[in-house]
Amino acid sequence: MNLSTRVYGLLLLAYPPEFRREFGGQLLQVFRDSYRAEALNGSVPSFWVRTLLDLVSTAAKERIENPGREGVSMNRRSDAVALLGCAAIIAIAFLLQYVTRNSAASLILINYVLDPLVVTGVIGNFIVFLLSKTTKFNPLRIAITVFAVVHAACLLLIVVLSSSGPPVNWAGILIGYVLSFVIWVGLHFAWRTTNRNQALNSQH
Amino acid sequence: MTKEKPEAWLPLTPAMFHILLALADKERHGYEIMREVDERTEGKMRVGPGTLYGSIKRMLNDGLIEELDERPDPELDDERRRYYRLSDFGRRVAIAEAERLDKLVKSARSKKLLSARGT
Repeated sequence: MNLSTRVYGLLLLAYPPEFRREFGGQLLQVFRDSYRAEALNGSVPSFWVRTLLDLVSTAAKERIENPGREGVSMNRRSDAVALLGCAAIIAIAFLLQYVTRNSAASLILINYVLDPLVVTGVIGNFIVFLLSKTTKFNPLRIAITVFAVVHAACLLLIVVLSSSGPPVNWAGILIGYVLSFVIWVGLHFAWRTTNRNQALNSQH
Repeated sequence: MTKEKPEAWLPLTPAMFHILLALADKERHGYEIMREVDERTEGKMRVGPGTLYGSIKRMLNDGLIEELDERPDPELDDERRRYYRLSDFGRRVAIAEAERLDKLVKSARSKKLLSARGT
């Protein structure tokens, strides 16, 4: 199996498990056959572009039509509430950041928390949403891992950028990032616990 | 479900109609369907793997096509391939869609949107 076929095999994770079980082998075989023909014509890049566009649109369609056992409406409502909640928290943090920029509040380190809350919120929640929809890992574990990595990456970026810039308040930045991590992971924990309790109640 | 009138399925998506056309003369496996569509339309219509099997899934559910239990040429072919053929109902739906498109083309011709070529 060549590298392209292996990559396509991994990308098939975007489809719902039922669809993969039924047609995964066939999809892979058709991809392999098509790839061979396109490689002979020397048109592999355009073939990959077409295939990726096809995969994104059809995987989204299959996911919408077959979201899993919980049912379409429940999943969609739950996802929409979670996404709107995250967007609202990020928007409020962004506004607070703007409002308190020149006020006394900035003296008590509020902005050191709001900065990472906005940045890691946008990046982290996007990655958590994608991974929880396309993999079978525990959603809370995904959230903890992703937010840990995103916070660490942002801190590393600050270290790199500040090495050639003006001095920074490391204590404030560190406290801000720790609090931001606790806030986002805490919110995901609360959200998952509420969802699990609701699912248990509906089973009874 | 297949006892419904073929017209209830119209209009078909372009991918579904092309797949039905590909299966109109013989049974084929997935890659053969893709190639037939590509050659017949001179590369203007290309069905990707996801579109192909998404459509096949729907058409199997709706009874428009059937999966063959045996491969037509087991000697020459990969045993993992699955072959599909048009069901009787699928043929009626394909005919109904072709007639619908034919009427549409005739309307276009009467409005002089098409040249006399092919009249």
